[in-house]
Amino acid sequence: MTATETTTLAARLVTRPRRPTSARRVRARRALVGYAFIAPAVVLFLVLGLYTIAYSFGLSFAKWNGFSPTWEWVGLDNYRDILFADPRLAPEMRNAAVNTGIAMVAVSCGTVLIALPLASLLNGITRLRGTLRSIFFLPYVTAGVAVYYAWRYVLEPDGAVNLALRALGLGSLARPQGFLADPATALPTLIVIMIWGSVPVAMLLYLAGLQAIDPAVLEAAALDGAGSVRRLRHITWPLLVPITVAVVLLGLRDTMQGFQIFLIMTNGGPAGHTDVLGLKAYQQAFFQSLSPTLGVASALGWLIFVAALLLAVVNARLLRGQR
Amino acid sequence: MRRLSAGAVVAYAALAVYAVVSLYPFAWMVSGAFKDRLEILEGGHLIPRRPTLATLADTWSRLHFFDYFLNSLKVTGLTVLGVLVVYSLAGYAFAMVDFPGRRFVFWFFVALLFVPSITVLLPLTILENKLNILGTHTGLILPFVNGTAPLAVLMLTAAFRAVPHDLHDAATADGAGELRIFWRVYLPLARPTLITIGVLTAVPTWNEYVLTRVSLNDESRYTLPLALERLASGTVPSYNEIMAGSLILVVPVIVLFLALQRYFVNGLSGAVKN
Repeated sequence: MTATETTTLAARLVTRPRRPTSARRVRARRALVGYAFIAPAVVLFLVLGLYTIAYSFGLSFAKWNGFSPTWEWVGLDNYRDILFADPRLAPEMRNAAVNTGIAMVAVSCGTVLIALPLASLLNGITRLRGTLRSIFFLPYVTAGVAVYYAWRYVLEPDGAVNLALRALGLGSLARPQGFLADPATALPTLIVIMIWGSVPVAMLLYLAGLQAIDPAVLEAAALDGAGSVRRLRHITWPLLVPITVAVVLLGLRDTMQGFQIFLIMTNGGPAGHTDVLGLKAYQQAFFQSLSPTLGVASALGWLIFVAALLLAVVNARLLRGQR
Repeated sequence: MRRLSAGAVVAYAALAVYAVVSLYPFAWMVSGAFKDRLEILEGGHLIPRRPTLATLADTWSRLHFFDYFLNSLKVTGLTVLGVLVVYSLAGYAFAMVDFPGRRFVFWFFVALLFVPSITVLLPLTILENKLNILGTHTGLILPFVNGTAPLAVLMLTAAFRAVPHDLHDAATADGAGELRIFWRVYLPLARPTLITIGVLTAVPTWNEYVLTRVSLNDESRYTLPLALERLASGTVPSYNEIMAGSLILVVPVIVLFLALQRYFVNGLSGAVKN
C-alpha cells in the first residue's frame, strides 16, 4: 500500500457521515483510523527495518560470498572465528576492538574535560555569548566528509599544523611523515578530531544545565558562608551529573558505531593502527570480492549491536540511579 | 564602558582560543579553495597571495559539482519531506488515536534507535538489489527516511500530546474527522517541532557518505560527499580543488544552521533528553 492510497483511505474513513452506532463500532472505526495513520511508517519499517535485521541475523550463522546461489550454514562458527578461533581474523579483530575501546574512552573523557569548562566560561560572560556559541557549534553542523578532508589537508607532511609547530619553535613535535601516516600519532590525532566534533553538543547540554540552576540558590549558599568550592560540589555538580552521564554515553555510542572518519582519513592505516570494529565490518561486507565473508561481516555487526545494547542498559540503570 | 575584571579577561582569552580551534579547519578550507594549483603546493600561508575564484568556478562547472549539488538537494529535500509526512501521521496516531497495539508498535519504533547502521547496511543493499532500487536516489531516500523513525516518532508524538485535548474534543464536536483535525489543527501547532526534525534530518542526510558510497555507481547520480571522495581519490588530486569541493559541501549547511539556529539548539537538547 502506498502512502497516498493509505491517506485517501484514512480520509474516507474519517469523513464518512455520522450515524448512530454502537460503542463497539465506534471503537473499531477509530482503530482502523489509527492503523491507516501509522501504515506508511509501519510498511517502511517492516520492509527496510525488520526484514534487513532478520536477514542479517540469519546470515551471521552462514558462509556466503554474495554471488553463489545458496548459503552454507555454519552455526556459531562466524562468531567463534571473530572472537578466538580464526588465527588470522581473531588477532585483527582484537586489535580493532582495542582501538575502538581506546577511542571510546578517550573521546568521552576528552569531550567532558573540554565541554564542561567551556560551557561554564560561556555561562559566565554576557557579551558575545551568542556569537561564540554559534562558532563553537560549527564543528557539529559540518561533521562529515568535507571537514575530514580539511583536517587531512592541515595534517599533511607540509600541512599547516607541522608548519605552525616549526614556526613556534616546537619542531620536535612536528611529524615529518604527516600526523596520519605516523603509527605513533595516527590514532591520537583521530581521537582529537572526534573530540573536536563532539564538544559542540556536549557544551550545549552543559550550558542548558547551567542556565537551569537558580542563581538565588547559589547566592543564598554564599550568604550562608559556603565557599565557591563547596557551592560547586554541593549545588552545581549534582545537577550536572546526569548531563555528564548522557554526554559520556553519547560519546561511547557514537565512537563505537561511527567509522566514517576512519574510512575517510586513514582507512585503518598505517598498518592497522587505526582499525576499528565498524570499519572491519564494513570491509568484510563490501571489500572482499569473492571470498565468503558476508556471514562474518553480519556476525561482527551483531556483536557491535550487543555491545550497543549493553551500553543502553547501563545507561538506563545509571539514569534510574539518579532519581 | 565598564572595565573587565581579571577573571573576565582570562575567560574571554580561553574562549577566544577555543573559537580559533573550532574555526581552524574551516579557515584552511576557505584558504585552499581560493588558491590556484601552484600556490596550494607552497603551503604554509593562510591568506592566499594571489586569491582566485577560478578554482571554485572550475570545481562548480567543469567538475560537475553543480550537478552533484542538485542531486544532494533532491535526496535531502525528498528525505525531509518523507520524514515529515510519514512520521507526523504516525506520531498523531500514537498521541491521539486509540487502537490496539499502540504502545507495542510505538516502542518497536523507539527500539530501532539501538540497531547500529553497520549491522543492517549489507542486507539493505542486498534487498535493494532484489527490488531493483540499488543505485537510485529512491534507494537512498527510503532507508534515510526509515533511519529517522525513532527520533521523529518520539519527538512528534510528544509534540502532539502537548496540545490540549480540548481542541481535539471541540473539533470532533464540530464534526471534523481525524484527518481534518490533524491537518488543520494539530499540524500547524506542531510547526516548531516539524522544523526541528526537518533540520535534524537534513544535516546528516546532506553529509551522508557510507550508504551512498556502497549504493551509487552511476556518476550522474553522485551526491556531494561521494563526488568529493571520488575527486580526492583520483589520480592527481589537488588540494585546492578538494577544498573548493568541501566548501561547496559545507556552505549550505552553515547557512541553514545560522538561519534556524534556535531550532537546532532546542531540538538537540530535546533529542538527548529523550
